[in-house]
Amino acid sequence: MSAPVVETHSLAKTYGLALVLRDVGLRLLSGAGAFVIGGNGAGKSTLLRILAGLEAPSGGHALVFGQDTRKLAARYRRRIGVMAHQSFLYPNLTARENLEFFAELYSLTEPRASADRWLSTIGLADVADARVRTFSRGMEQRLSAARAMIAEPALLLLDEPFASLDHDGAEIVAALIRGAIERGAAVIATAHAVPEIEGVEFAVYEISRGRLAEPAPKEEVRRGSRIRSLLGR
Amino acid sequence: MNSAIRNGLGYTTLALMIAALFMVFDYVPPEAEQGIAQLIFYFHVPLAWVAFASFGIVAIAGIFYLWLGDQLWDDLGYAAAETGMVFCTLMIVAGSIWAKPIWGTWWTWDSRLTTTFILWLMYCGYLMLRASADDTPQVARFAAVLGIVAVLDVPIVIASVRLWRTIHPAVLVTKQGGHGLEDPRMVATLMVCLAAFTALWAWLLMLRFMQLRTRSRMGTLAVRIAFANAAASDSK
Amino acid sequence: MSGFAAVLRKDLRLELRSGESTLALLALSMLVLVVLVFALDSARLRSVDVAAGALWVAMVFAGMLGANRALLAERDNGAIRGLLLSPLDPGTLFAAKLAAALIFMAVAEVGAVILMVLFFNLEFDQSIARLAPILALGAIGFSALATLLSAITGRTRGGDMLLPILAVPIFVPALIAGVKASAAALGGAPLSSMGDWLRIMIAFDVLFVTAGYLLFELVVGED
Repeated sequence: MSAPVVETHSLAKTYGLALVLRDVGLRLLSGAGAFVIGGNGAGKSTLLRILAGLEAPSGGHALVFGQDTRKLAARYRRRIGVMAHQSFLYPNLTARENLEFFAELYSLTEPRASADRWLSTIGLADVADARVRTFSRGMEQRLSAARAMIAEPALLLLDEPFASLDHDGAEIVAALIRGAIERGAAVIATAHAVPEIEGVEFAVYEISRGRLAEPAPKEEVRRGSRIRSLLGR
Repeated sequence: MNSAIRNGLGYTTLALMIAALFMVFDYVPPEAEQGIAQLIFYFHVPLAWVAFASFGIVAIAGIFYLWLGDQLWDDLGYAAAETGMVFCTLMIVAGSIWAKPIWGTWWTWDSRLTTTFILWLMYCGYLMLRASADDTPQVARFAAVLGIVAVLDVPIVIASVRLWRTIHPAVLVTKQGGHGLEDPRMVATLMVCLAAFTALWAWLLMLRFMQLRTRSRMGTLAVRIAFANAAASDSK
Repeated sequence: MSGFAAVLRKDLRLELRSGESTLALLALSMLVLVVLVFALDSARLRSVDVAAGALWVAMVFAGMLGANRALLAERDNGAIRGLLLSPLDPGTLFAAKLAAALIFMAVAEVGAVILMVLFFNLEFDQSIARLAPILALGAIGFSALATLLSAITGRTRGGDMLLPILAVPIFVPALIAGVKASAAALGGAPLSSMGDWLRIMIAFDVLFVTAGYLLFELVVGED
């Protein structure tokens, strides 16, 4: 049994007098997926930010690839892909230029070819030369997903990956997540409610009042059902 | 313990200041050439020493803060910056008061006054940085970096200003330094003044530092209250 | 080092895309020269000293604009976070931002030198060639300082106002040295006679490029 990709012990986070996370413990192995669900402000994004190393915990610790998230060396950061509420994309660059840039940043051998390949995977090949500034929110979200996954990371941290997506967009992103898991990546994603992705089993955690509830029993995640759009939930 | 130090410094300052004032105004003979205005020298030099020393503390505290991460160092740096700013301002004012009777002008760009003025501007920058943002660990880091960078610059400032002024001596008269004090009474007075102002500075620094420490400890307390509240509401 | 090239190329591309605003900023920094010509118009002042001073004022102005813009591009969509999450080393990011600011400042300097020669009735000769290394040293030092500081000021409320307040006092030694050396060069003196000034500028550059490289990761990024 390999070492867990993600591991936290008694993780806690405060903002002033507000305790946003407390006593959060989870483990995730490669090839496993977890969805963390909860309402607005429940602490889902905070958890992901700590795992990404963008924030330091107030108590306990978080480990990614066995390393403390506060001091991740470059070689570990190379294996992590992050999707956040902000897209990290440059509005004045084209879709292709954005992906090429990130491909270079992550030392891919053929940045241009990778960029083009991912553009067709996410269905944006025909707007490859359009500036991201002209994109709709859904298109930007798809591009952001490609940006996060272009280096085929071993760990994906996705904050509400299905937000602002229509049915087709959601299917595309779901397929990407499925592909990543089949590749052996570990995936933690957040959402308001449990999505269903064909062919993949997810552990489901719920955050409420800063605490993480135990993963739901497997029977609750139905296999083989079509993915449901999360808009309007 | 801290209060004992603070109070001790307070009384020491009082005693030394009384002694210093007596010595400057009653004991030491004024210098032959410059007359009574020269007495400012006995305030000017200690003020300069304290202003620069404070700056050094800002930088050293910054280094320790970045290295150890303890809020205590950030509080020390901030206190030293505020205290140092006060003394730096006083020094510039004293220099100006001295310049008027001696050179007939309110300001002169001699090397020491210029360097102190640059230092004063750096203090302004540091304090403006702190004022323009909330007190977060991030801003503390910014301030520490700024302090370090500024202090590393000071030797270069001193060198360049000195070089600048030696090339244009016609613009001004180089000021007499603290050297060449013939009368032993002058040396004694200077020593006492140095001690008095150092004590005053240390006392004010301590006061401000303790204030900031209290404020920071309240922040840590807030975290503990948050945990306690959460635990209490759990066991409903 | 592919990260350095990638970031620099992206920044240059973005700069060229932004079109008019880059040209406008360059023009602005040169207008400073125009203002100074009229403000300092006096037959009593030696042309060369005033010319050197005016040139450096315009340069510092351009330098502040350039450094600010290099980091501005990262504010959209939280792009800076994308960079911090990537394997890119913060020191390398600093180097790339420094290079971008330097290029902007160099372009402004070329324009400013040309205008200076025209406005102050100088000659395009040897003395201008001797000016080049002096201006280069100044640009490197200022760009390094401004890049490091704008990472700080960009994230505080003081914003654009704060950058000059922090940068100018710290830059004073290089400014003094640069103006004095420039005036001497314009007056026909050889570079060997300015050893002291040049040494000061080199010390400043080494200090701030190193400090920026090492300290950048502490000031960029979020908590």
